[in-house]
Amino acid sequence: MEPSRDTHATLVDLLDRILDKGLVINADVIISVAGIPLIGVNLRAALAGMETMLKYGVMQTWDEKTRAWEREHCKKNIPSLVEGEEIVVKMFGSHYYSKGIYNAWRSGYFYLTNKRLILYRQDFDEITFQIPSEEIKALVMREESHFVKEKKKQVLYLIDKQDRVYRLSALETNQLKDAIVQNLETMGLSLEEGPVLPEFEEGQIDFLTEGEEVTHRGKKVWYLVPASGIQQETWRPGHLYLTNKRLCWWYDFERKLVFDVPVNRIVSANTEMRKISGFNSNKEKVLDVAYRFNSAKIIASFPGGRQIDEWAEALNEIVSGKISEETENCPQCGEPDWAKELLEEGCSSCGWVSPRLKKKMAPAALSAE
Amino acid sequence: MEERGRGERNLGKEAEGNSKMTEARYLYCIVEGNEEITLGNIGIEGSSVYTIPYQDLCAVVHNCLPEPYKSEDKEKVKSWLTTHEKVVEVAWDRFGTVLPLGFDIIIKGEEGIAPDENMKKWLKDDYENLRQKLGKIKDRAEFGVQVFWETKIISEGLIETNPEIKKLTEEIKSKSKGLAYMYKQKLENLLKKEMEKEAERCFKDFYEKIKKCVDEIKVEKTKKLEENKQMLLNLSCLLSKEKSKILGEELEKINNMKGFLVRFTGPWPPYSFI
Repeated sequence: MEPSRDTHATLVDLLDRILDKGLVINADVIISVAGIPLIGVNLRAALAGMETMLKYGVMQTWDEKTRAWEREHCKKNIPSLVEGEEIVVKMFGSHYYSKGIYNAWRSGYFYLTNKRLILYRQDFDEITFQIPSEEIKALVMREESHFVKEKKKQVLYLIDKQDRVYRLSALETNQLKDAIVQNLETMGLSLEEGPVLPEFEEGQIDFLTEGEEVTHRGKKVWYLVPASGIQQETWRPGHLYLTNKRLCWWYDFERKLVFDVPVNRIVSANTEMRKISGFNSNKEKVLDVAYRFNSAKIIASFPGGRQIDEWAEALNEIVSGKISEETENCPQCGEPDWAKELLEEGCSSCGWVSPRLKKKMAPAALSAE
Repeated sequence: MEERGRGERNLGKEAEGNSKMTEARYLYCIVEGNEEITLGNIGIEGSSVYTIPYQDLCAVVHNCLPEPYKSEDKEKVKSWLTTHEKVVEVAWDRFGTVLPLGFDIIIKGEEGIAPDENMKKWLKDDYENLRQKLGKIKDRAEFGVQVFWETKIISEGLIETNPEIKKLTEEIKSKSKGLAYMYKQKLENLLKKEMEKEAERCFKDFYEKIKKCVDEIKVEKTKKLEENKQMLLNLSCLLSKEKSKILGEELEKINNMKGFLVRFTGPWPPYSFI
């Protein structure tokens, strides 16, 4: 191999020598050599590349800023891990968070490490959910409707050793589950086989008052939630419950009663096939429940498929049980009510009881004479 | 800006009487010799290059203003630099041994002292040091050796031969999509680590081989010039011109290795060894 001198590449090699090296003179009669790097910069930028530029301080500020940003950004990107903890899988996902009045799917990134499962919100540098791997007792996959009718959502129910249930969902929920299972296997842990998932809806019925019993329930029904505040009226999915006291509609997503009418105010229940959405031209079976509120008659509509007929039947039994259509205003709050019920059972709004009723406080007096 | 007085730079010796024009000397190199001679108008911007002797040493210079040469014009700077190098080489040819200086080193005069006086004073003060340096580089030249590897070829080779990487690559095939992703990251990290190890091993190996062929060796910073090629080592070597053949043979062996590439430049004046 012969040494070469006259190519573009060798020019770079030469420039390195002429610009950086050579005999060093320690004499005070030398003219400032500040000009050397100045000359060098242009040429080097083109010939040598970034590293040399940085060496000459040209882009130093820029570079430092970029690096500082990078450092900051990286820090925020990953939750702080404990020593020896390694990330196995990272995946976008969410978990259903329910506490106090706050109920929502909170999204972030799932980090499955060799020690635990974390849901991390990088924007807030906050871990919103975490569970040590050895605390995971069982996993159940379920396909659930995703509030939007046609869409199905894979939900992973994670049951911990205390039998608490967590609802998780990820971009690829199946893959997340596989990864957790495999991760546990490598740790020598195993999951409970064939776990039983506590029925979710059952747990939801915590609105019943004393002596109140559910007399009729069904599958999911929709309800046009009236506008409130900046929220426009919207169709929401939920469950309708008929108790011995009220007709209630439980909003699954917010886990609360949104519609709640005493049975004695229900005037009528009818069914009809009609279009309910501007987006969907299909007709649906809708239950229209008419009830009195103040002095007005209001109709609440619940589309819900075949089960609607059963609902209409159940409600009509109650309505037909009513003897009189006669109404009276409550002397205490002014609220209208069935005259008979007002006298015999008291006001369902404010609790006013007629003097006559008070006298007949014996249980027998409550039944119609 | 850089055009200031450029025309007058060419006046050379004839202008010596005029102190305004000749108050500084641009220094190319120091050579062994005691002749006061002119090498012709071969200097930067065609200026006349001549020698200023002190005992058995000579400074090779041209007359200039006491200001550094600077320009935004890349082509212009490039031509200055190559001219600088050419002058050093002409002097090298003529005097045999040369102590090259970097670009843009100018010695100025002072109140009542001509620049030549300052030059001689410096040569006198630094005489022992300069003589010693000349002794060291006598009959020797500098060569640049850079070894690159093609990252892709080397990493492909590692994937085939490294048992740890091989095992991991096999494992990936049986993994689900999510896990395969994580394994890929693992593989990348492992590959990077192994590449670094390999680079270090190659560096040591090549360095030892090259060192045996040269008199003196200097490790320079590696640079990134191309995307797929990585510079493994960058060396400056000092050796007699005759020995360059042996070095060339050794480098040839490296160059013939799959995925490796050697750049062998020179002979250069010994910029790196003085």
